[in-house]
Amino acid sequence: MNRTFVSLCLYVFVFSSTLAAQDSSLRLPAFSKFQLRNGMTVLLLEQHEVPIISFSMIIKAGSTSDPQNKEGLASLTADLLRKGTRSRTSDQISNDLDFIGGEFDMGASTDFTAGSAEFLKKDIRQGLDLVTDIILNPVFPQEEVTKRIRQLTDEIKSAKDRADSVIGRYFFAYLYGKHPYGRPVDGDEVSLAAITRQDVQRFYETNYVPANMILAAAGDFSAGEMRGLLEQRFNSWPAKTPSPVRIDEPRPVQGKRLLLVDKPDSTQTYFYIGNVGITRMNPDRVAIGVVNTLFGGRFTSKLNTALRIDSGLTYGARSSFDQRKLAGPFTIATYTRNATTEKAVDMALEVLANLHEKGITAEELASAKAYLKGQFPTSIETSSQLASTIARLEFFGLDENDINSYYSKVDAMTMSDARRIIEQYFPKDNLVFVLIGKAGEIQSLAKKYAPSVDTRPITQPGF
Amino acid sequence: MKRLTLLLAGIALAATTATAQDYGIKTHQLKNGMKILVQEDHSIPNVALYIFYRIGSRNERPGTTGLSHFFEHMMFNGAKKYGPRKFDETMEAAGGSNNAYTSNDVTVYQDWFPRSALETIFDLEADRIQNLSFDEKMIESERGVVASERRTSVDASNMGILYEQLAATAYTAHPYQWPVVGWMVDIENWTMEDLKHHFDIGYSPANATMVVTGDVTLDEIVKLAQKYIEPIPSRGLPPKVTTREPEQLGERRVVVRKFAQLPILMMGYHVPEAVNSDYYPLQVLQMVLFEGESSRMYQRLVDKDQLAISVDGDYSPAFDPTLFEITARPKEGVQPEAVEKAIYEELERLKTGIVSDRELEKAKNILVADFYRRMKTINGKANALGRYEVFFGDYRKMFTAADDYSKVTREDLQRVSKQYFTDKNRTVATLIPEKEGAKQ
Repeated sequence: MNRTFVSLCLYVFVFSSTLAAQDSSLRLPAFSKFQLRNGMTVLLLEQHEVPIISFSMIIKAGSTSDPQNKEGLASLTADLLRKGTRSRTSDQISNDLDFIGGEFDMGASTDFTAGSAEFLKKDIRQGLDLVTDIILNPVFPQEEVTKRIRQLTDEIKSAKDRADSVIGRYFFAYLYGKHPYGRPVDGDEVSLAAITRQDVQRFYETNYVPANMILAAAGDFSAGEMRGLLEQRFNSWPAKTPSPVRIDEPRPVQGKRLLLVDKPDSTQTYFYIGNVGITRMNPDRVAIGVVNTLFGGRFTSKLNTALRIDSGLTYGARSSFDQRKLAGPFTIATYTRNATTEKAVDMALEVLANLHEKGITAEELASAKAYLKGQFPTSIETSSQLASTIARLEFFGLDENDINSYYSKVDAMTMSDARRIIEQYFPKDNLVFVLIGKAGEIQSLAKKYAPSVDTRPITQPGF
Repeated sequence: MKRLTLLLAGIALAATTATAQDYGIKTHQLKNGMKILVQEDHSIPNVALYIFYRIGSRNERPGTTGLSHFFEHMMFNGAKKYGPRKFDETMEAAGGSNNAYTSNDVTVYQDWFPRSALETIFDLEADRIQNLSFDEKMIESERGVVASERRTSVDASNMGILYEQLAATAYTAHPYQWPVVGWMVDIENWTMEDLKHHFDIGYSPANATMVVTGDVTLDEIVKLAQKYIEPIPSRGLPPKVTTREPEQLGERRVVVRKFAQLPILMMGYHVPEAVNSDYYPLQVLQMVLFEGESSRMYQRLVDKDQLAISVDGDYSPAFDPTLFEITARPKEGVQPEAVEKAIYEELERLKTGIVSDRELEKAKNILVADFYRRMKTINGKANALGRYEVFFGDYRKMFTAADDYSKVTREDLQRVSKQYFTDKNRTVATLIPEKEGAKQ
């Protein structure tokens, strides 16, 4: 190739990329929103990169709608949807889905039940027929209910063989206590046994109604055609008034509390430290994200630098603000070998204390801003990410401005904002600790961190 | 991007024979031997840059197991221009993030960043490839990190513990027998000299392939590579791994007894390397047996007989003959032997009967859909291109894979089942729960 031509091309490229960098906007592709006459909300976003179509569904009822002592009902209901409909057996559904290389998944969280489905463009009609049948016509056969409850109970036991797969459940239970956010989303060994087929049927009839449903599609389709396909299938779903549950705002824990879960074969202690944090709608969430990036949100964060890079105490230390409809948990999470447990907990607390005392530098702030902006586009790259993003915006009562203003909110953040964010949102003296480890070796430490200490064996049912 | 999709769709649906297309991928060979693959995709203003080094735990020896993986960690701990911490700090401040992984066969470095960081990334990568520093203090600190990684990925995981025993038993001669992360005692004992030797044998530019996907052009990548990477002199390649695992002459069994709530069952059958033509029918078999809730093993073990919580199969591309692995988690109260028996019956069914046309077609459909899913992100594309180039010898194999799968017949499936799923060729590992207090 001609060298002069090459360098000219490069020049133009560099020039235009400079312009792009100055333009601090990144926008969601345009999408349309409408309601079916039965009240179901539909969102459509065209993206013609790969011949794939992705769906994201939200039913506005999650584990917080579980009846007392029947924890896991929302989750079980979601699992059982595909286990038989009025016209298809469970086997037929699996066969039809797998035959077209399709994907379907549905699961509960605290606030809602979310589903995802994905098909090749050429199979879209069959794929949609399946999804519609699963959502509108499940029959919950008794044998499938019994089978799934047994499987889920064994899954919990299996999960308890690995501390890091259950520490979150122990932490949420201990942090939120009686508040619905403290109840196990997937139930526990006792609550699952109490659930009957009638409970599942009732949960479905109450909560799976059009007005509770958000359906987002993104991918290789034309919006007009997709609208027709969806109307054909969902218009017949009868309208029904939903009955949402009312939940109090959770309150942060005052003082310090510690739970030690004894797992006698542990060679490492896993621990979470935290308190009640923020909601998804918090107006400061972008700025909180910037500070958390520096505190525990990336590889060079203060936590990971102290506990991993400088001391080699752990493979990783991080922090996060889980953002939900009501205030979700703020957590510091890491693990270390039994003998260095005290050193690691002390160090995590010291990093937190330092954040309050010293704050962040202007250089760190600039780095975190560049990092978040640089990584953000990959979070809305694929059709499945886009479908999920717009469905969740709708659930939380937000719109595309939440995404489209992301860069400008990051840019606008100042050092004084950072000081305020730290003071306001990062806990200081009120902390909840959960440790999973070998009690025989670490029990004596527990009192050091909290006046109130609880202990339980990992084999004890529940969390 | 769009052009590629069309070509792929043509291949996947019509199963046409591949012609000499470039598939939208451009290549360039540097004078020092490093090959570069570039795929332009301007859908987001980001870039994925992966460097594959053809060195992994198979290039190690007893006493220094896990060294490749440890070395991967050291590649982030400082070089000449960018000292300790500076690699990550510089990359993150430029908006980038990174990771790396080590396997039996390869060590792969992954950078994800906005296109504005492109030159910084080349500068960072060149610095560490050329001038990595070997600092005693850093080595000791990182030893602790890797020991923690081993504790969490192996020692705190019953799956991890059992898998290690399966591999250690299934191989008697070949280096696939030791864990990628290394035995703990080796992690504690390797030396500075071991690290330097590893760098010498594994990190010559000629032993690496760079893959760049995203918001870039071939011309700018070549220009940056010529400036930053090409001046790095080529050294030798790693010594050839000549060991071949001898044929297994009878079933091997290993048992792990430890505190646990539920047992685990794993088995491994010796199967060929990626470039062997049986790779394709074995992959299709993996789909038939394990993919989705309609798969034979799920239907039998999880759904119908309700013996297991889960059953999975794995057969991944490898340089040398490897294992087709099956992992099942028996339900509470179910003896692992009952699960084992049911698995053997399903494998026998493949030998005595023949899979239906619909099952075969389903498996191929799943493989095509999986292919497109990997193509959804620039990361997925970079990883897939690199793996085809390194494991199959040519990235273009990625685009002819649908064709290779479409040639697999039902008779092929029966033949490979008979050939590989034999009791003589199998190793079985079982984890038996012990109650608290029953210590070894």
